[in-house]
Amino acid sequence: MSNTRIIKKRYIFMAFVLIGLALLLVLLPEKHASKQLKPEQLLQEINDNTRYMTTDEVAEKLIYGDAYLQLIDVRSADNFQKFHLKGAVNIPLDSILNKDEKGNYEYEDILNQDVKTNVFYSNGTVYANQAWILLRRLNFKNNYVMKGGLNRWIETVIQPQRPLQTASQEEFYLYNFRRAASMFFGGGSVSSVPAEDNTPAPIIKKKGGKKEEEGGC
Amino acid sequence: MGPLFTASDEWSFVIALVIGIAFGYLLESAGFSSSRKLAGVFYGYDFVVLQVFFSAAITAAVGLLFFEYFGWIDLSAIWVNRFYTGSAILGGAIMGFGFVIGGFCPGTSACASAIGKIDAMLFLGGFIIGVVIFDAFYPFYEKFYKSGNQGPIKIYESLGMNREVFLLLFVVFAIFAFVATAYIQQRVSQKSKKY
Repeated sequence: MSNTRIIKKRYIFMAFVLIGLALLLVLLPEKHASKQLKPEQLLQEINDNTRYMTTDEVAEKLIYGDAYLQLIDVRSADNFQKFHLKGAVNIPLDSILNKDEKGNYEYEDILNQDVKTNVFYSNGTVYANQAWILLRRLNFKNNYVMKGGLNRWIETVIQPQRPLQTASQEEFYLYNFRRAASMFFGGGSVSSVPAEDNTPAPIIKKKGGKKEEEGGC
Repeated sequence: MGPLFTASDEWSFVIALVIGIAFGYLLESAGFSSSRKLAGVFYGYDFVVLQVFFSAAITAAVGLLFFEYFGWIDLSAIWVNRFYTGSAILGGAIMGFGFVIGGFCPGTSACASAIGKIDAMLFLGGFIIGVVIFDAFYPFYEKFYKSGNQGPIKIYESLGMNREVFLLLFVVFAIFAFVATAYIQQRVSQKSKKY
């Protein structure tokens, strides 16, 4: 007895339909458009600040040799040659969406992966933000922006300002970290500031004289 | 097209109830409230379980990939359970033994209980006792339970295959399984007729 007799004709028809549809999925060209982020979601992500990484966070990762950090300099190649952060790669903003002969994004291997944390920087925040928005629109993941860019990097890491004497202990800790980072990146001198406040501790005057009588006999 | 209802939406329980009722109705319609029919897959006289679930899986998979292609659904937003190697093997074995001994799986036992089958009610009672025991002694086997966590891994990813190619092979395999089981079923029923 053949198998066709034990399987109803409509099942055979459905089997061919399913194989045909599955084959069609294999043959369909890859659709990039459907992977793009919706404008509403992009707006929501633009409005929250989770994409920002501070210069201190970046400095810490660089000092500790975080292998998962990938700095991306979005300035022009000339500016990159003049100065760039340690380990950074240069992908200028105007070529960030370049495509190869096959129509794939040239830098997709770097810009859309889930191993490394990409941090964009430019002189300020604007160009790095533009790069981030363009790539988030394409639903590329793991991209961040160094807030304030290189200007902020110089202000905070390379030439940190000493906090006022009245500043909190946290600010002094941060200042000391920045001084150490400055030395690490070859920007500052050796002097350091103690974390403790140097102002003399207030003297607590004990009440002199006899204790007051507390009743009783 | 965004999600019609989010998990935090108060309507999600209503939607879950509607989907649950539809699922139960379809199980009952497919004859899954009969433990004889369900256990048939282990003895070779009825493969309807395998056929129904395989056809549901491949139809859903093909449909979902088309939905994603047309931009109607975002598959990356769908929650995929983590795969724990140790507990998947042991849990699978316990589930299999429970299935062949009791003649039901958890969902079908609830379905059969709803139409008044006493064996299914007993099965469901045992199932609830099992859940309570599992919960009570959880700290003893928590380490094993969470061992071999491979994350929300998918078969085609672990094989390093293209998703669509894997689906095509899976559809072909499922259809081959239909034909093979239909053939086995016929042979077994012919054999049983002789005696």
